[in-house]
Amino acid sequence: MIRNTRMKRLSIVSALVAAGSMLVSSVPALAADPGVTATEIKLGITSPKTGTVALSYGKLPRAMKAYFDYINDNGGVYGRKIKLISRDDKYLPQLAATQTRNLVLSDKVFAIVGALGTATHSKAYVAAQLAKNNVPDLFVNTGFSGFDDKAKYPTTFLVLPSYAMEAKIIAKLIADTPTMKPMPSFLIAQDDEFGKDGVKGFALAGHKFTSNPTLYPQGSLTAALAESLLSGVNAAVPAAAKPVMVLMGTTDSTALILKAAEKLSLTSRFTWIAGSVGGDANTLLALGVKPATIEGAYAASFFPDAKDSTDAYVSQFMKINEKYNKGDSFDNVVLQGMNSAMLTVQSLRAAGKNLTRAGLIKAIESKGAGFASAGLAPLNYSATSRVGYNGYWFGQLNAKGELKPVGGKVTLYTTDSTSTAAPVLSSFTRKPLPKNGIPTNQ
Amino acid sequence: MNNTSVKKRSFIFLAIGWVLLLIGDRVDELVLSQGALVATYALAIASIILLTGYSGQLSLGHGALMAVGAYVAALTTNNLGLPPVIALVLATFTAGIFGLVLGFSVARLSGPYLAGTTLALAVSLPTIANQFEILGGEQGVAFDIGLPPARFGEDFSLYKWFFWICALAALIMIWFISNILASRYGRTFRALRDNPVAASLAGINTGRVKVLAFALSSGVAGLAGGLLVMLISGVSPSAFPLSLSFLLLTGAVVTGVYNLKGVMLGGLILVAIPEIAESVVSRIGGSEGFTVALPGFLVSALLILAVVFTPNGPGHLLHKRKH
Amino acid sequence: MNQFITAVLTSLSSGAIYALMSISLVLVWRSTRVVNFAQAGQAVFTTFIGYEVTIRTGSYWVGLFVAVICGGLVGAIIDRFFMRPIFKRVKSGPIVMIAPVVATLGLLGLIQSVIGFIWGFNYVSIEAPVSTQGYKLFGTVVAFSPFNLMVLIVVTIAMLLLTLLFQKTNIGLALRASAFSPEIARLSGIKVDAVRTLGWAIAGAAGGLAGMLYVPGSYLHPNAMDVLLIFGFIAAVIGGLDSLFGAVAGAMVLGFAINFAASYVSYKLVFTTAFALLIIVLLVKPNGLFSSSKGRKD
Repeated sequence: MIRNTRMKRLSIVSALVAAGSMLVSSVPALAADPGVTATEIKLGITSPKTGTVALSYGKLPRAMKAYFDYINDNGGVYGRKIKLISRDDKYLPQLAATQTRNLVLSDKVFAIVGALGTATHSKAYVAAQLAKNNVPDLFVNTGFSGFDDKAKYPTTFLVLPSYAMEAKIIAKLIADTPTMKPMPSFLIAQDDEFGKDGVKGFALAGHKFTSNPTLYPQGSLTAALAESLLSGVNAAVPAAAKPVMVLMGTTDSTALILKAAEKLSLTSRFTWIAGSVGGDANTLLALGVKPATIEGAYAASFFPDAKDSTDAYVSQFMKINEKYNKGDSFDNVVLQGMNSAMLTVQSLRAAGKNLTRAGLIKAIESKGAGFASAGLAPLNYSATSRVGYNGYWFGQLNAKGELKPVGGKVTLYTTDSTSTAAPVLSSFTRKPLPKNGIPTNQ
Repeated sequence: MNNTSVKKRSFIFLAIGWVLLLIGDRVDELVLSQGALVATYALAIASIILLTGYSGQLSLGHGALMAVGAYVAALTTNNLGLPPVIALVLATFTAGIFGLVLGFSVARLSGPYLAGTTLALAVSLPTIANQFEILGGEQGVAFDIGLPPARFGEDFSLYKWFFWICALAALIMIWFISNILASRYGRTFRALRDNPVAASLAGINTGRVKVLAFALSSGVAGLAGGLLVMLISGVSPSAFPLSLSFLLLTGAVVTGVYNLKGVMLGGLILVAIPEIAESVVSRIGGSEGFTVALPGFLVSALLILAVVFTPNGPGHLLHKRKH
Repeated sequence: MNQFITAVLTSLSSGAIYALMSISLVLVWRSTRVVNFAQAGQAVFTTFIGYEVTIRTGSYWVGLFVAVICGGLVGAIIDRFFMRPIFKRVKSGPIVMIAPVVATLGLLGLIQSVIGFIWGFNYVSIEAPVSTQGYKLFGTVVAFSPFNLMVLIVVTIAMLLLTLLFQKTNIGLALRASAFSPEIARLSGIKVDAVRTLGWAIAGAAGGLAGMLYVPGSYLHPNAMDVLLIFGFIAAVIGGLDSLFGAVAGAMVLGFAINFAASYVSYKLVFTTAFALLIIVLLVKPNGLFSSSKGRKD
């Protein structure tokens, strides 16, 4: 018993010592806003670096960093260099919360940029108290329309059009295309906010699918499931019809479905419409989908085609990628990362030399809609709106994975996530590329 | 169980609580939030130790039991408007009852059969959330307990509030467990663990004792689950991946599976290792594959070293040295 | 009808892969009483080696051969230089029950990290050696391709070889004797340690084979076979852990249950079905369907 007590004391003491060792000596900073000095601005991003989502989006932080490095080599923002700290959340909510909190409390970043993932970031935002500390949460990489809620996410700015917008515009594409309109249509979507937002969008557009949408949990779609799913649809539809098959899921799931179609000789049985996330042709081809399969498939984008080097923005970003991010091939995700980084630089410039968090948020609200960007859709930032791009154009993929606009010319429709109003044809023309891709906010 | 030992134990827990209170006032937000996580992990590890170390049943699926508590806590707070403390108590009891039912069905299983069943439970239970609208699907349910009570003052931060709740919950629960283990029940648990045949010969109803241990452990895990999702402001299936169950098992082994006293150390290690790995990575750099894989590598290496060198926990090692 | 045929055929081909995984778990369990969670990592590691060989030589079959051999080697090395020292150190107390499981879990993490160090976390795929285009049956193409057929044939051959090995050779006799009663086996002059290592080696080879047969229909990355491991384990437990026949039967039962539940009820039911099946089997027979008549106490 005596020994026992001593043991207990010993272990308690050792635990306390261990706990004490974690007490890093730190005085709460009372200076202006953390993360900004005369020479540096610290920004942070959380995203998955392993797993199915990382497959397409692993390049994103590297592309952003490459663009920031380019700006740093060209004088930075008002003399300050941008440092991007990238943390892995493995697409798990708990890690996202911890890593976002670490960015704020340990790395003391000035703002979060480009955080990726709906289920992860929506929790991390609250858990890391971004609202309370007024940490700007710029250009989140998710199309979940729920982030457009100033009461709940007061410092968040969206950049991607929402999945609901995408669904509304897909519905319009189906309705406007004579070969698709009379055909049965089906939706296979991921069973999370992605798919549900999409289902909501189709409902708003009044589009009815032939059978209830098939929703599968993210990452749990197997080849066998995809096969039985497609053969089920195939059996249910008369052979004369060419049904429309809409896929709203991550690229690996899209690839599995397309491969199942190859196996079942059903690639030309359907008209395929891949959402903006899953329609990433480069990744699909890398995952072993045959070029002939994706040829003719419809995909959505709000950017110019990432393979179109005649586009001023694309060719400039390609040059930067070549010099600062050699290992990664240029694709949609790199384009998206560099574009977000470019928007970030313009936001920081717009906030002025005396950089504060409140000032940055104000600057985007008042000037964000006028930023130069590669996007072919307008940005919709204002005092009341946190929506970024709000439109899509549709193209058909060719065997090389290039997205060629339907009808030979980019036709972009804009819409919203909440009303039943039909998408409208956009007359927006984007600003020309700032000289050498270095924003001056002119 | 005599009264003096209970008194002594209570005194020690009060002392720890007082020290934690003092620490809590002197550290910054980051450490407070880490401290809350340490307490939560410590509690989850305690639930595994209770089951595995003291009653000899191996569970690979404690994440699932935590998920039960987590959903109960979030749903009762959101839908019934219960105060978080009541919600957490409810989470504990519901998870306990769940464990009781589960324990009854698996009481006849042992060793790898039990391990397999709990493993299957860990991968299947969270996916059930996708079936029912009320559980919020993949996105899950928010669990926001709101700001700390106004009477604590203006500068009483949310992280401090979390730290208080988690530390207090862990202390009370571990105090409760250690009292049980010192009682008649604890002795039957140990008898069952050390020699099931002798235990049943001695008239112990092994089935009933196993079920009881399962229910207790499950309740504790449920509370830890509730605390965990409080810290991340919401519950969703992906908050309880299989890796969490394995991580907690690692914590239990590193602590020493039959040593309840080390749980705080176990929790501390689970929180500290990834941080250490991150800082190592940021210092030495390296390829993307290397930097991403290093934290997992360190945790696994630690686990193996713990099994090889201190299979019965660091406390046991000290104990041996003294002789 | 078409849906039914498809479900049957996909059940068969996924069941065959589960069977290889559950066999490799059973072989290790029989020889050392360890549930080898590291098998998922070992299999991915050896499949990556097979992938490299396939790319360099341009031949899937050379890759398959090398993967199976390497799988065997890795299994033997792990037993000889990892598990055996642990067993030597951890001899007493309840930890004996937990230590091997925890050690293999740790090893799994270690192997997966090493795979990440070497090959990164990108997804790669291996081209199938024969067509993956489905056969035509009653006028429609079904989800069963020459490659699926090849998988079934290769798995069947592997099973036959294993059966021959166990039933007709002295090595097989030694394997069975050491699994049944190590002490008696040792007394009758069998080198029990070497035989155990052999068990690990065969299991590792089966894992490598499973990986090379699975990946052409899916992708290869560090965690590619985690789910297969879980299904393989569930199948092994259903089959009784001790019996090779049980492992195959369990895998087939599981394959059919999962695919039928998914195609006829809901796509969300994959894991729930596996769990429900396991619970039902274990409630009726706590030691699995095909375990030896005597209940196991360990």
